[in-house]
Amino acid sequence: MIKLENVTKVYKGDVVAIRDADIEIDKGEFVFLVGPSGSGKSTLIRLLNKEEVPDRGQIFVAGKDIAKLSSWKVPLLRRNIGCVFQDYKLLPKKTVAENVAFALEVIGRPRHVIEKQVPAILELVGLSQKMDRFPNELSGGEQQRVSIARAFVNRPLILLADEPTGNLDPATSVGIMRLLDRINRTGTTVVMATHDRGIVDTMRRRVLELDRGMIVRDEARGVYE
Amino acid sequence: MAMNVGYITRETARNLWRNATLTLASVLTIVVSLGLLGAALLTRSAVDNATDRWEEGIEFVVWMNPDATPEQDELIRSTLEQSPAVDSFVYANQAEALEEFKRYFGDQPELLDNVSAADLPPSYRVVPRDPDPRAIDELASTFEDRPGVRDVSSADEIIKEMQRMGDKIGNVALLVAIVVLGIGLLLTLNTIVMAIGSRQREIEVMKLVGATNWFIRIPFILEGVVFGVAGAAGAIGALKLFEEYIINELNSSDTIVLLSGFEVSSAQFSQTALIMLLAGIAVASIGSGVAVTRHLDV
Repeated sequence: MIKLENVTKVYKGDVVAIRDADIEIDKGEFVFLVGPSGSGKSTLIRLLNKEEVPDRGQIFVAGKDIAKLSSWKVPLLRRNIGCVFQDYKLLPKKTVAENVAFALEVIGRPRHVIEKQVPAILELVGLSQKMDRFPNELSGGEQQRVSIARAFVNRPLILLADEPTGNLDPATSVGIMRLLDRINRTGTTVVMATHDRGIVDTMRRRVLELDRGMIVRDEARGVYE
Repeated sequence: MAMNVGYITRETARNLWRNATLTLASVLTIVVSLGLLGAALLTRSAVDNATDRWEEGIEFVVWMNPDATPEQDELIRSTLEQSPAVDSFVYANQAEALEEFKRYFGDQPELLDNVSAADLPPSYRVVPRDPDPRAIDELASTFEDRPGVRDVSSADEIIKEMQRMGDKIGNVALLVAIVVLGIGLLLTLNTIVMAIGSRQREIEVMKLVGATNWFIRIPFILEGVVFGVAGAAGAIGALKLFEEYIINELNSSDTIVLLSGFEVSSAQFSQTALIMLLAGIAVASIGSGVAVTRHLDV
C-alpha cells in the first residue's frame, strides 16, 4: 500500500527531516510513528499525501510513484487518503454535519450521496445526536471524532493521523483509539504519529521509531520504547 | 468533473459579502474607468458623425432645393466644372441623401417612415483649389443666391477645430481610462487575495480532502467576473445618461448650429457598450486570475 525507497527530505538551511528512509506498509496495517519532537514524524506524514516532495528517493502509494504525479492528479491521490490532525482543522462556522458534508461537496459528490453518507458516518463515530452543533459547542474528543468522520466519510484506502490524541486527556484518547482501530478493521491502512506512550503500549501494533530523520526501529507488535 | 452549481454560487456570493468595502471600491473603480473609456469612444463617434461630410478636403456644400429644376441643377454643375477655383466636387443625389439620412437616423424609424428621397436635398460637395479660408468663403458665397440653391454651408475653422479637439479629448480620456482600468485590475487582485486570505482554513481543508485546484479557484475567479460585469453595467448606465444629457444637448443646441449631427446611433452605442463589457470582464478576470494562480496552488 505504501512504500518508501531511499527517501530523503531536506528543509531549507540543511535541516535533514528524513534521511534514507526505506519503509513498506501493507494494506490494512496499523502503524505507529514514534520519536521525539523534530524526529521527522510529521514530515513523513506530509510526504505521503504530497504536501511535501522528497529531495531523493521514491514514494509509492497504492502502486503509484507519487513523485511523478502531475499536480492536477494530486487531488485524486488525496481522495484516497484521509487526514486527521492534533488541532482537528474543523470549520468553525459550519455545523458538525456541514463540516463532514463539506469534504464530499468539494469533490463533487451528488447531494443524495451526501445526504446518505453523512448521517451514516456520524453514527459510526457516535455523534448522531450532535449533528447540528457547532465545533465550539463540542468537547475536544468530540471535535476529533468529527475530524475523523470527515477524513473517513469518503472511505479512503489510507488514514494518516498526526498526533490525533495530542490535545486530549487519556480517557478521551482511549475512545479515539477505539474508533481508529475500528476504522482499521474495515481494511483501511492507518499510519499514526504519536507521543502517547500509553496508547502505543496498549495497542501493541507495528512501531516505527524515528530519530533525527532516521528509522531506528521497526518492530511488529511493538511498544513505545 | 462534477461541479456543484449551488455550491459555487453560494461561495461566490459569500465572498462578495465578506469584503463589502473592498468589493465596492473595486467595482466603482471599474465603473469609472469603463465610463471614461465609453465616453471617449462615444465622443469620437459623435465627432466623426458630425464632421463626416467634411472629409477628404471638402470645404463647402451647396445644398439644392429638392424641387430644383434640372436646368437650375445643370447650371450649378457647369459652373463648378468650369470654375478654375474648384479642384473637384462630388454630387450626392436624392437617393444618396436618403442613404446618408438613414445612416444618421437609422435608430429612429418613425422619422424614416416620414421621409422619402424626394424630400431630401441633393448636394454638391466641393473641394476648392486654394485652401485659404478667405478665398473659400468668397467662392462659396458666389453660389448662395443662385436659383435652385437652398443653402451653402462651409467647413470652416470650427469644424476642423472640433475634429482636433475631439481627437485630443478622446485620446486623453482613453489614456486616463487605461490608467484607471489598471488601478481597477490591481484593486480586484487585492480584493481577491484578501478573500483568499480570509478563507485560508477552508482552502486548506479542501486541498486535504482532494478538491481540485479549479474547484477551489472558480468561486474566486467568478467573484472577479462579477466585479467586471457589475462595473460595466454601472458604466453603461452612466454612459446612457452622458449620451442623453450631454451629446443630445449639444446636438440640439441653437447657438452651436455646427454641432447638429453631433450624435451617435444606437448601433454605435451598443458597440461601445459591448466593448466596455468585454474590457470590464477581461480586466477583472485577469486580476482575479493572477490572484488565484499566485495564492492558490497545491
